Amino acid sequence: MEYADLPLVPSVESDAQLQTIANTSTDGMLIVDADGRVRFVNPAAEGLLRRRASDLIGQIFGLPIIISEAVEINLIQADGKLLATEMRTVAIVWEGAPAQMILLRDLTDQRRAQEAVRDAEGFSRAILNSLTHHIAVLDDAGTIILVNDAWHQFAMENGDPQLTATGVGMNYFAVCSTSSGANAQEVPAVVQGMRRVLHGDLPAFELDYPCHSPDEERWFQMRAVPLHGPRRGMVISHTDITDQRRNAQAAAESAALRAQLLAREREIVALGALSSTERRPSGVAQTLRSEEALRTANPTLFREYVGRYADLLESLVDERGFEARNTDATVRTLASSLGNLFISARDVVEIHLAALRSRSVGVAPSRQQAYLEEGRVLLLQLMGFLVAYYRDGLVA
Amino acid sequence: MNIIVLQLFIAGRTPRTEHAISTLRQLIEQRLIGYPCELVIVDVLTDPQQAEERHILATPTLIKMLPLPQRRIIGDLADADGLLAALSLPPLSSA
Repeated sequence: MEYADLPLVPSVESDAQLQTIANTSTDGMLIVDADGRVRFVNPAAEGLLRRRASDLIGQIFGLPIIISEAVEINLIQADGKLLATEMRTVAIVWEGAPAQMILLRDLTDQRRAQEAVRDAEGFSRAILNSLTHHIAVLDDAGTIILVNDAWHQFAMENGDPQLTATGVGMNYFAVCSTSSGANAQEVPAVVQGMRRVLHGDLPAFELDYPCHSPDEERWFQMRAVPLHGPRRGMVISHTDITDQRRNAQAAAESAALRAQLLAREREIVALGALSSTERRPSGVAQTLRSEEALRTANPTLFREYVGRYADLLESLVDERGFEARNTDATVRTLASSLGNLFISARDVVEIHLAALRSRSVGVAPSRQQAYLEEGRVLLLQLMGFLVAYYRDGLVA
Repeated sequence: MNIIVLQLFIAGRTPRTEHAISTLRQLIEQRLIGYPCELVIVDVLTDPQQAEERHILATPTLIKMLPLPQRRIIGDLADADGLLAALSLPPLSSA
């Protein structure tokens, strides 16, 4: 007699009860005998295998071997498709003989959910990795549970290539507490700030700190914010703010220099105004031009002298730091040339200011400062030579 | 001496199937030493016909074709002792 021909009627009452339970179960149930041959199939198992019970009874499914509680297998459905399934077994007595009840649960939904979670995690990670901020996520005990690529890269470049000190699994409070060097004195404040954020006492904690490398001066901003969501924790970010600080410093220096330049201009204009009211020496009463300023009387000539003055200024700035300067003769020549035109002190001041402005546009604040300093010396030297010229008729 | 013929049905190459294959090969080399053994691996994804002919209902399934009687087991194939017992093969100690 073939097994498929066996009556499905259970031989004892307990079998009937078991069959009743099995027929209402949403999990697939198979009962196999000692040879692994199918003796009973519930409707859910029929659905999972897409085969009728009458086609399965008597077939050899196989003897289940499970090391732990459950094992994942693939059921082969009637159309050849595979179905990921969790298999569990229970040793029972069926029809008076030892048997195995095989419980089968469809893992499709679980797989989909796991894939969705993996996708979401991958998406979140991709977002974190696309940021240039160095980011670490801490759990409620301060243990690092995730770092982004920028964090990893910075660790690699700064003495922790394997992330053994600042990687996942390390406690960030401990990392900070063992910090040494220039920032060591800020550690207690940092740790306290982070703890307050973690406990919800502070909405965020921020700190700008220097982190100079052997090659360059660097500044970073550390920011700690609470992790929003069902899990308590904190997100730490470190952002390189070196450029912002440099720009802010340059802007402040520029503003200070502009203020200095304006003050000097006011001083010199006042000096020029005073000088222009002086009488010319009696021996040079016959001027080549009227009392009108050179700038308006002869703009071409004015621009030429502004150019010569600016070149001289450039040379002086370039020669800073050298003891022997080669510009004295040029200044004398310029003074003689200006004296021949009976140039007034006001004209000299205007040439000076125009040259200073032309050279200061678009250069670094330190260069602007140098133009200012060298310009003051040049102006006084030129005035001195010009006074000598008007007094003696030559530049000594 | 009887030849031992084992047939393993898998569905694609995954870490779990690779582990099962590795366990079987170790079992043959170390625990069934001295027995002529043949291990045939059938991937149901590339050879569904064989699975159908053998009425394979799940993977991984391991069939002991020879020596008779045939035995068919399913599930965790990573436990050498469990496999030997289930297949009724002589539990030989390694040489």
